[in-house]
Amino acid sequence: MIVRRRRTVLLITIVLVVLVPACDWMPGRPTPAERWKPKSEIKDFNQLYAQNCSGCHGANGGQGAAQPLNDPVYLALVSDEKLRQTTAHGVPSSLMPAYAESAGGTLTSAQIDVLVAGMRSRWARPNEFNNVGLPPYSIEDAIAKGSGPGNPDRGATVYKTYCAQCHGEEGRGGEKAGSIVDPNFLALVSDQSLRTTVITGRPDMKKPDWRSNLDGQAMTPQQISDVVAWLASLRPGTEAKTPPEVKTARR
Amino acid sequence: MLRKIALWIDERLHVSKIYASTAGHSVPASAESWFYVFGSGTLLCFIIQIVTGICLAFVYVPSANEAYTSLEYLNYQQPLGWFIRAMHDWGSNFMVGIMILHMTQVFLFGAYKYPRELTWISGVVLLICTLGMAFTGQIMRFDQDAYWGLGIGAAMMGRVPLIGPNIVHLMLGGPIIAGETLSRFFTLHVFIIPGLIIAVVSMHLRLVLMKGINEYPEPGKPVNKLTYEKGYEELLKKEGVPFVPNAIRKDLIFSGLVMLGILFCATFFGPSGPEGTPDPTQIRTVPRPDFFFLWIFSVLALLPEYLETFLILTAPIVGIALLFALPFLSGTGEKSYHRRPVAFLSVVVIYLVVGILTYLGTYSPWSPQMDAWSGDQMPVKYIQGRTPLELEGALVFQNKQCRNCHSLGGLGGQRGPALDRVATIMTSDQLVRQVLQGGGNMPAFGKNLSPPEVAALAAFMRTLRAPTESPVRNSTEPAQPGR
Ligand code: HEC
Ligand code: HEC
Ligand code: HEC
Repeated sequence: MIVRRRRTVLLITIVLVVLVPACDWMPGRPTPAERWKPKSEIKDFNQLYAQNCSGCHGANGGQGAAQPLNDPVYLALVSDEKLRQTTAHGVPSSLMPAYAESAGGTLTSAQIDVLVAGMRSRWARPNEFNNVGLPPYSIEDAIAKGSGPGNPDRGATVYKTYCAQCHGEEGRGGEKAGSIVDPNFLALVSDQSLRTTVITGRPDMKKPDWRSNLDGQAMTPQQISDVVAWLASLRPGTEAKTPPEVKTARR
Repeated sequence: MLRKIALWIDERLHVSKIYASTAGHSVPASAESWFYVFGSGTLLCFIIQIVTGICLAFVYVPSANEAYTSLEYLNYQQPLGWFIRAMHDWGSNFMVGIMILHMTQVFLFGAYKYPRELTWISGVVLLICTLGMAFTGQIMRFDQDAYWGLGIGAAMMGRVPLIGPNIVHLMLGGPIIAGETLSRFFTLHVFIIPGLIIAVVSMHLRLVLMKGINEYPEPGKPVNKLTYEKGYEELLKKEGVPFVPNAIRKDLIFSGLVMLGILFCATFFGPSGPEGTPDPTQIRTVPRPDFFFLWIFSVLALLPEYLETFLILTAPIVGIALLFALPFLSGTGEKSYHRRPVAFLSVVVIYLVVGILTYLGTYSPWSPQMDAWSGDQMPVKYIQGRTPLELEGALVFQNKQCRNCHSLGGLGGQRGPALDRVATIMTSDQLVRQVLQGGGNMPAFGKNLSPPEVAALAAFMRTLRAPTESPVRNSTEPAQPGR
């Protein structure tokens, strides 16, 4: 009995020993992917994104607390240069941190390029926007393209038309969405972020983009600038009706 | 003719005599037990370590610049180099593990008692040597973990009064961890300690032969110095069996299993490390020592400051002294653990304590998780249906690195409590106070948060609860209208 058992053990051992050299696929074999690298040498988009961005922008570029980066509308709207610049230097006095080593962050400029290129190649769908008249990304672009700076008074009206159905008559929150005039909220977001939100909406939260707030009636670039100016004017420490091109310090 | 040659050789070399006195020596039939296999198992591991170690030494370069590269070469270029590394790595784990089992068995079965005191003492020397091998082996990787291990070791030694700095200098081969350190530890790891182990193992085995294998202890048969040796001889005469082939059978089966275990682990889990070239600026990593030192790592992390120096200096000395003194403290009397409740309980307690500390060490909840704030996603259920202010609060939570210490949805650091249900236990005011003033092991964030950030944070944390639960309120606060 014991002899037979010992033979089985022996047999298994021999089989294993013979198999060992044959298996390059053995699970324990270290793969180059597992190889330790200094953080500055990580060049894989997924890894970079997962380590640095998913905490706020969501696991796959969406469904995070901050605005989704996997939104094709957003990616059609924004330039690579702007993506790179925001990632490198963050958005001052907002919660978006700076990542460039030169700005106290942890990423090399090569890594930031990987992130920008990766977001583009993975999530952008430029062909879908060939015939779409996209509003200008920033207020500067808008002014350069000939629509005037935003006007808070007109913005209040725009708000009533396009936004009140969800955010409530005064902006203090309604059935479908929360308050956007809360002074603490406004103190924490940049004008550009408000503008981006108005244009792209939040597809991950059923918030419509600039075309679909109202059935069949897209917002014009002027209306977008106006409603953002109105929101900005409600920010504490900013005097009401300050035209947005006069950049005053926030708070 | 053949017989003549054999006889000639035997006459010159005494082969048959040596055989008779070693393999053929008789042992108590009761020693043919599964409990008696750990010693030979440890020896097998040691032999594996020697063989794989020699293989590694063909490639390994013990210089600060090349140690790391040569390990990478073994891992990725040398055919099966990684496998040898894995065998050596797992072999050391198995060796320490089985050695501890062996020691526990010897302790519980009272085998250290008269007349086998020296066998136990040589065993304690082997324990220290083996742990020394494990520690110096970890240094051979010369990666971040090695640096860290050395750093801790040096810090401990540095606390020795008066001669501390000299010990550190001696240990590191200079004032700092450098190439000389590696040479020093290499010499220890491949010459001095293995040589010592071989010598002491020989003595250990010789003693086992001379004083015989401990009979399976029976309750109610205490050891008496006057009668023991005689009784043992009679026992052998009455029911002695030759070591080979009777008693060795289970040893061989167990050794085979150990071999399989090491092969299995090496195949499936592979080698560990090397874990990155040492770089003092890489503070974001949390290095960990190898498995069997994890519990020490935990002790060091959990110890209150004022006890540290005292315990670090005295505990190892007291512990080792106790081990050495054991056979003199209780050299006679009952052997069976059935009659030695204190001995039995101390084993249980030590196993539990070390086990728990090791478990804690594997995920070191006391160290913040440095990447959580930017990497760990917010659970979608804490995002959906939240107001813009609450969303900003979630962003403050990430941005201010609360996540590094507090997990949400199971992700994040564990230095502080998980906050998934914090709304059900803390009111807004309490939340704000906790954040601004800190408390316990939490830093005060007062000056690092602007009032809007605090407001957003509190609004966000008030949503952290299951949908069916309601948040606690200040008595003055009206119930929140549902959205
Ligand atoms: C701590 C949270 C946080 C992390 C981590 C984070 N972001 Fe952001 N991000 C924000 C916030 C908040 C904003 C909006 C800032 C504002 O108010 O303009 C933002 C805005 C942006 C914008 C600009 C959006 C616009 O309006 O055009 C880009 C691009 C961006 N983030 C990319 C990244 C990338 C890439 C990473 C990873 C390297 C990253 N973010 C990591 C919080 C974060
Ligand atoms: C169909 C409903 C709907 C309409 C119309 C709508 N929103 Fe929203 N909005 C949402 C939802 C949903 C959110 C996500 C936050 C929430 O649930 O409160 C949101 C969020 C926001 C945010 C905060 C985004 C963030 O990331 O923190 C702003 C700013 C905003 N909306 C502005 C506007 C403006 C300005 C308009 C009008 C041009 C508008 N919204 C029209 C539904 C809507
Ligand atoms: C360095 C680690 C660390 C950081 C960073 C940290 N905390 Fe804490 N936190 C703790 C610890 C530890 C406790 C337990 C304190 C105690 O024992 O009283 C705690 C307790 C808390 C509590 C009370 C929870 C309870 O169940 O009693 C809250 C709320 C809290 N922290 C919120 C935050 C917020 C918000 C931030 C970010 C602004 C933050 N913490 C950052 C370590 C940390």
